[in-house]
Amino acid sequence: MPGFFKEHLRPLAGSAGLHLLLVGALVLAALRWTSQQPPVELAIQGYVVDGPVKVRPLPEPREAPAEQAPQQVEAVKPPEPAVEPPEDRRAEEAAAAERAAAQRREQQLAQERATQQREAQVAREKAAAEQRRAKEAERKRAEEAAAKRKATEEAERKKAETAEAKRKADEKAQAEREAKVRAEREADLQRRLAAEEEEGAAAAARAGVMDEYRLMLVQTIERNWSRPPSARAGLECTLYVTQAPGGSVVDVKLGTCNGDQAVRESITTAVYKSSPLPAPRDPRAFERRLEIVFRPTE
Amino acid sequence: MQPTLATLKSRAVAALIALVFLLVAAPGHAQLRLDITQGVRDAVPIAVVPFGGQAEGGANDIAAVVANDLRMSGRFAPLERRDMVSRPTSGAEIRVEDWRLLKSDFIVVGRVEPDGDRLAVTFELHNVRTGASLLAQRLPSTEKGLRATAHRIADLVFERLTGIPGAFSTRIAYVAVDGKPPAQRYRLIVADADGFSPRTVLESREPIMSPAWSPDGQKLAYVSFESKVSAVYVQQLATGQRSRVSARAGINGAPAWSPDGRKLALTLSRDGNLDIYTLDLATQTLTRVTSDEAIDTEAEWSKDGQSLYFTSDRAGNAQVYQVRLDEARRAERVTFTNGYNARPRSSPDGKQLALVTLDRGGYRIGVMDLASRNLRVLTNARQDESPSFAPNGALVIYATREGGRGALAFASSDGAFQQRLSSDQGDVRDPAWQPFTTPR
Repeated sequence: MPGFFKEHLRPLAGSAGLHLLLVGALVLAALRWTSQQPPVELAIQGYVVDGPVKVRPLPEPREAPAEQAPQQVEAVKPPEPAVEPPEDRRAEEAAAAERAAAQRREQQLAQERATQQREAQVAREKAAAEQRRAKEAERKRAEEAAAKRKATEEAERKKAETAEAKRKADEKAQAEREAKVRAEREADLQRRLAAEEEEGAAAAARAGVMDEYRLMLVQTIERNWSRPPSARAGLECTLYVTQAPGGSVVDVKLGTCNGDQAVRESITTAVYKSSPLPAPRDPRAFERRLEIVFRPTE
Repeated sequence: MQPTLATLKSRAVAALIALVFLLVAAPGHAQLRLDITQGVRDAVPIAVVPFGGQAEGGANDIAAVVANDLRMSGRFAPLERRDMVSRPTSGAEIRVEDWRLLKSDFIVVGRVEPDGDRLAVTFELHNVRTGASLLAQRLPSTEKGLRATAHRIADLVFERLTGIPGAFSTRIAYVAVDGKPPAQRYRLIVADADGFSPRTVLESREPIMSPAWSPDGQKLAYVSFESKVSAVYVQQLATGQRSRVSARAGINGAPAWSPDGRKLALTLSRDGNLDIYTLDLATQTLTRVTSDEAIDTEAEWSKDGQSLYFTSDRAGNAQVYQVRLDEARRAERVTFTNGYNARPRSSPDGKQLALVTLDRGGYRIGVMDLASRNLRVLTNARQDESPSFAPNGALVIYATREGGRGALAFASSDGAFQQRLSSDQGDVRDPAWQPFTTPR
């Protein structure tokens, strides 16, 4: 039996050991079971453990298995004392047979032979049973492995399916999102164009009102400007005018002006004389501040 | 959809541009920019309130003299007294709202006060529209000098509001004729520019013609037939002292002073034909300028004294020519516009000529710009003659016919208006406007 253990344990431990360095905790748990506990379980366990290691992308911390590795070496020894008791029993039986005298030697030999035969028989039966059990275990293991593999594959497949479904769902969601964004963008563009059109129309209307307003102001001031003789072509004088909402001129400031005193007097007078200034058709066109440039043509 | 979209976009762009302009214009100073290129030549409304310390309507009514001067200039429209609701005599008493309602732009107020045994005239000019005080002065005067003081006030107001020195304190010379032949009486008269205060400086039973002011405004040269034939005289106005400077055979006519006052240009016929000569007054040196077979007459000096303008019919009808006073003395024709241009008179700045031009069937006063050769006709009667520029160039005085008699009239040199000078001196002719007597 120990040979069997060793026979099976070494290749298993050897093959699993490379991996089991990373999963030492599980191996230790398996070895703490009784010596009768079939090591195959361990082997199966190793497989079980082995499987997830491949799948899991992220291994457990590497330090833990490294610490448990020496325990694994110790754990291989305990099965040896369990081999001793049968040897003690054989020695006692041999001593009893010598003390029973030679006469019973034949009987004893026969008995021994029978016993040996029996033992051989039992051993053979046991080995056969053991073999059967091992085969059964092997089968079971294979089945389980297959089942496991199948389960794993199924899980993989399911996972892949799920991933595929998820990918598809994601793609669909993405497409939907993009479509939505496109639609929103398009709607926004349309809204903006509409707004711009409205704005354009409003601006055009405003420009019309503005032109009219400007013309009214210009005509009013021109009508009130008594041009002195010195206001000839080449003259350029700017007035900064502030009007109250009713059109009353509240402030007139002279900007740059290349005209004489009479010109300055005349343009300022023209603006105050035009007070109250005409109001625009659309009150929104009203401008509180005016920049009036006197630039007479000859 | 496509064209609509394109239209939308172009419109949107236009709107954006408009918006940008609006926004760009916004932050600086004024938001709305206006360009004023036209004005009116209408007379500027002004209120000249009767001065305190004076009886209204008297001969020396300062406000009346000032208002009349300003009206005569054609650039101002004085408010009628009957429309005045108050009689402020100082700036503090002016309620500008009242005068705005009366549509006056400016207001002149003042008062006459005794100043020892003399008088002092205080006046103020205010802008009714802006409320600004533009002038405030105190002028010494006398009872007899109140009219002169009034003209001085008119000069100051005119200059402050037009940028042109007033010429209301200057005088005019002209010839008045009374009676019928053979019992006619000729008088050379010097009066204020408004026609008031006429003084006769020469009286004769024979014709007096072509008075011409010396550049300093102190002397008159004129043609007198007092000795039955024409002769040119120069007379000191202040003293009445006079001298005959040219009494050569034939015609002695059309004297004109050189800008430096040392020479006279004359029209003489001593060589058988009417030609232009210059006469050095100090040396009596006579220099012939033209020698054309045609009639050359009515000379006028250019402002630089280097050439003469004159009338000649050498081209078949009267036109104005210019001759340089150098060795060559070649004459060039100046006027081309109408079939008749005569009697050139230079503007104070030398840039224009006033002349008589045959325009649409009438002899009228025109002003020609020498640089552009553009001729502007100022008057519209049938027989206007003898133009003479005011020393500020703003007006031209000329002779016209009214009811079969000669009369004087003013025209603004821009042609905006004309105005008769009322006179009770009968048939008047040959006006000449005095230069400024003090340097400006």
